[in-house]
Amino acid sequence: MFDLESQIRKWRSHVQAAGTLGAQDVEELESHLRDSIDELTGRGVSVEEAFIVSIRRMGDAEALHDEFAKVSTERVWRQLLVPSADDAARRRQRTEITVVLLLAILGGLLGKIPALFGHPVAEESALIYGRNAALFAFPPVAIYLIWKRALSLSVTAIAAATFALVAVVVNVYPSYEPHHTQALTVIHVPIALLLLLMALYAGRGWRRPNLRLDFVRFAGEVFIYSVLLALGGLVLVGVAGAMFTLVEIDITPLIVNWLAVFGCCGVAVVAAYLVEKKKGAIETIAPVLARIFTPLFAALLLGLIVTMALTGQGPSADRDLLIMFDIVLALVLGLVVYTMSARDAENPAGWWDGLVLALVALALVADIVALSGIVGRLAAHGASPNKVAALGENVALMVNLGMLAVGYFRFLTGRSRYQTVVDWQMRYLPIHATWAAFVALAFPPLFGFA
Amino acid sequence: MDIQKDLVAASATPIVLSILRQGDSYGYAIIRKVREVSGERIEWTDGMLYPVLHRLEAAGFVKSTWKTAESGRRRKYYRITREGDAELARLREQWEVVNSALERLAKPGKTGVDDV
Repeated sequence: MFDLESQIRKWRSHVQAAGTLGAQDVEELESHLRDSIDELTGRGVSVEEAFIVSIRRMGDAEALHDEFAKVSTERVWRQLLVPSADDAARRRQRTEITVVLLLAILGGLLGKIPALFGHPVAEESALIYGRNAALFAFPPVAIYLIWKRALSLSVTAIAAATFALVAVVVNVYPSYEPHHTQALTVIHVPIALLLLLMALYAGRGWRRPNLRLDFVRFAGEVFIYSVLLALGGLVLVGVAGAMFTLVEIDITPLIVNWLAVFGCCGVAVVAAYLVEKKKGAIETIAPVLARIFTPLFAALLLGLIVTMALTGQGPSADRDLLIMFDIVLALVLGLVVYTMSARDAENPAGWWDGLVLALVALALVADIVALSGIVGRLAAHGASPNKVAALGENVALMVNLGMLAVGYFRFLTGRSRYQTVVDWQMRYLPIHATWAAFVALAFPPLFGFA
Repeated sequence: MDIQKDLVAASATPIVLSILRQGDSYGYAIIRKVREVSGERIEWTDGMLYPVLHRLEAAGFVKSTWKTAESGRRRKYYRITREGDAELARLREQWEVVNSALERLAKPGKTGVDDV
């Protein structure tokens, strides 16, 4: 039985998919489609045939997008900041911009707290700012998400409690030379707190793999936007500093203590707003980057493995090598996950999936080859916090990539759907965050705060 | 009849503006009108009309408003503006120049290539 409504819905989402068409454009096209179908059925054509003829007359969706994109190249960006036509939407937009700006200021004020306790921005207080960085930048984002998703009071309370707990723990822990556990805390707190943001982003559906995948996409884009905004900010600060030097006024203290603090702490929430706002307006950036770098990384890893095999060069610096491979594995994982976020789970397996599997396999081989040589020596020298943290991460990443390899292999051989791979990966994500939380919060006491 | 793509593109604006000059209209009705007045010989891809309309609107030649038909279907109506009128007059003049040049060339002897 031909169901016209569901067919029109499918057509609409197909047309919307590339994102150059606004909601009103799509509505206009749909109204046209229905007019056309009505006229044809009025002439005695069957509904199904009328639908097919009307679709064909409408033209190829891709060509349509190109044409619309020509009209709207500037609109794609305008959509971000200029209020939309509709009155209610305009008011909502204005409220949202106000909220975001206030939250950015809140981030800046949080960033001023250390100065209140007599720690202005300076080299001596780098660790203080470092371990709290996520606690300045993330709460505004969390509040924004809570506001945007209208989350319940209990969720808000849990989020607030988590931030408070982390803030207290990282700041009351003492730190002795050589400050290794402290440095580990600095690195791992943001990773652990991402889990909280993920829960807030997904709201009630936080268990659903596809919402988690949306969050992954969101986090990646926020990061990219933040970097872009920060670059702009650097230029601004540089120009400002240079100009005031010309009139012989040194504004460095102002820049360091105010502009830098407010800029760094507020940038995340502004970036989060932009990413939320542009949803569907422009192609997403992170997956495109992932696509570009996947083959390059695969080639690099292949080169590394071949070099290690040919020269028989054993790894020398144990800990650095371990950390280096953690970074490589994490990058590979990032590439796979962002590729995943750009992929339509319904599409059949293609050569690209083969390439991803190759990348994962190469990363695993390189890791095993490099580490097999030093496991014994690692044990011989005793456990240092850095070594244990790096080793734990390596295990977590290796299990993850192994799982991905199995998943991709099963998918490529037609034994499972792509969605299964997504489900596995998204269920695994909290494990990384949990380990990070463990390193950040439990390592300092375990290793005597050294 | 297959009309060359460039010619279709170039004639779309004056045709749409001319139709709107006869009264406000919406996308589907405009397409139907084009088919009708050309004796079904000008066939546009329906979807392509909308980017043209939107471009005209961006240029200020037409204005659009959403209206709800009795059937409850929402349609976006387009109305020609004063600038649109002026643009149409300009375009018509250009078409007439091209048109008369072609006509005169089609009847050699009167003027044109032979005299040069």
